[in-house]
Amino acid sequence: MPHFFFNKKVILLLVGMVFLVALISFSLRDRTNATLPEQIIKDTVGVAQSIVAKPANYINGIFNSIDSLLNTYEENKRLKARLEDFAVVQAEATDLKSENNKLRELLDKTESLKAFNPIHATVIARNPDQWEEKIILDKGSSHGVQKNMAVMTAKGLVGKITLVTPFTSEVELLNTNNPNYRVSAMVLGEKEAYGLIEGFDEERNDLIMKRIDSSLKVKEGELVVSSGLGGIFPKGVPIGEITEVSTDDYGLTKMAFVKPSADFSILEHVVIAKRTSTVIDGSDGNATNEDLSNPQEASKEEAE
Amino acid sequence: MVRFLIPSVAVLLFLLEPEFAMLSPIEIKGEVYFLVPRFLILYLIFISIYYSRQRAVMYGLFFGVLYDVFYIDIIGLYSVLYPLICFLAGSIVKVIHQHLVVTTTISVVLVAILEFILYQFFFLIDFTAIPLADFLRSRLLPTIIANALFLMILGWAFKYLINARVLQRAREVS
Repeated sequence: MPHFFFNKKVILLLVGMVFLVALISFSLRDRTNATLPEQIIKDTVGVAQSIVAKPANYINGIFNSIDSLLNTYEENKRLKARLEDFAVVQAEATDLKSENNKLRELLDKTESLKAFNPIHATVIARNPDQWEEKIILDKGSSHGVQKNMAVMTAKGLVGKITLVTPFTSEVELLNTNNPNYRVSAMVLGEKEAYGLIEGFDEERNDLIMKRIDSSLKVKEGELVVSSGLGGIFPKGVPIGEITEVSTDDYGLTKMAFVKPSADFSILEHVVIAKRTSTVIDGSDGNATNEDLSNPQEASKEEAE
Repeated sequence: MVRFLIPSVAVLLFLLEPEFAMLSPIEIKGEVYFLVPRFLILYLIFISIYYSRQRAVMYGLFFGVLYDVFYIDIIGLYSVLYPLICFLAGSIVKVIHQHLVVTTTISVVLVAILEFILYQFFFLIDFTAIPLADFLRSRLLPTIIANALFLMILGWAFKYLINARVLQRAREVS
């Protein structure tokens, strides 16, 4: 009799192991949508989490303001020095802006890759075990958030949306190791150089920009912004500054290390950028080249 | 009252973990250190030791599934590891003394084991590429120190709460 029980337990254990491996491999696949039970759990926990996040953010804010209060003198001195330049730059900027608008009207070109509708969101949680660089926001598909949209702070790009449920969304940050994570970017030099942000160097804490045409000159200290050519992101969102340039593994193209301009460690409020011009699933997404703005029409066209 | 206090503290700790995770990583002299809050599993280990192993495993399964679905998106990782750790804790305590210092040490060691298993898993599926030495220095050690501090501050409170529940239960039975 005891022998029988032993066998039963072993069989149960084996079945459990097989089930576990199946479950893990199912959830490891590159899934685009969460299943219904997952969505329900995510939304319920998300609501509870956003309630807790409010006082936590408030307390965090108090500490931050004390911190900035201590630095006020230093900061004030530095800002005063920059204020004089600022007035000149601002005058120039308004001038250029109005000129740009006039020229656009002249050309009858009103759409721009730069324009986007911002969706403001609060960070309600960060993946506590910190193996994947992921944050969770309190806005979801019911607020118009879609997969692969750009997420940024005032300082620059921080990541893109990877998963959406009705009331929450998940953001994978730029400093991820995921090899399928690409952002189409450009270097603002004498001549614009295009490339892709792919990967993160953990030792240097820098992003890696690959596939820059080797005939183009790229220098240290030049700014890197999103190009908008990946199809989903708006144009001109700052990403960072080049710290080193070298050739890539095969020696055919250049690659550059980019110091990110946004701070990934303390994120509270972010902006999700919903591009106003046509959205295409290019290299910022899964590279399917599908028209994302009106999928029904696109599939109809294909059928014809 | 005490009856509902035990699960509600668990829920609270579950919701507080990501808020504390926002403070991490910290940078000291150019070195980046990751502090991973493991408050919930420490609490569950205490329940397993002082209250009931079976109850702790149930809680572990429930919160493990929540953790997997909400944060990790790999179902079956925490939902196995949490109950397993609770089961281990409940089994170990049958052969040793239940002094607070001893149980604190056991809890911290178990959390270190949990962290190590997770590292091995994520290394296996290519989510991370950091070498073992880096993991020990920048993740495991700071995490152990932070969680040990947390347990030193709140361990007695957990024990007090759980003991109150055990006493109440004994009174109900008698």
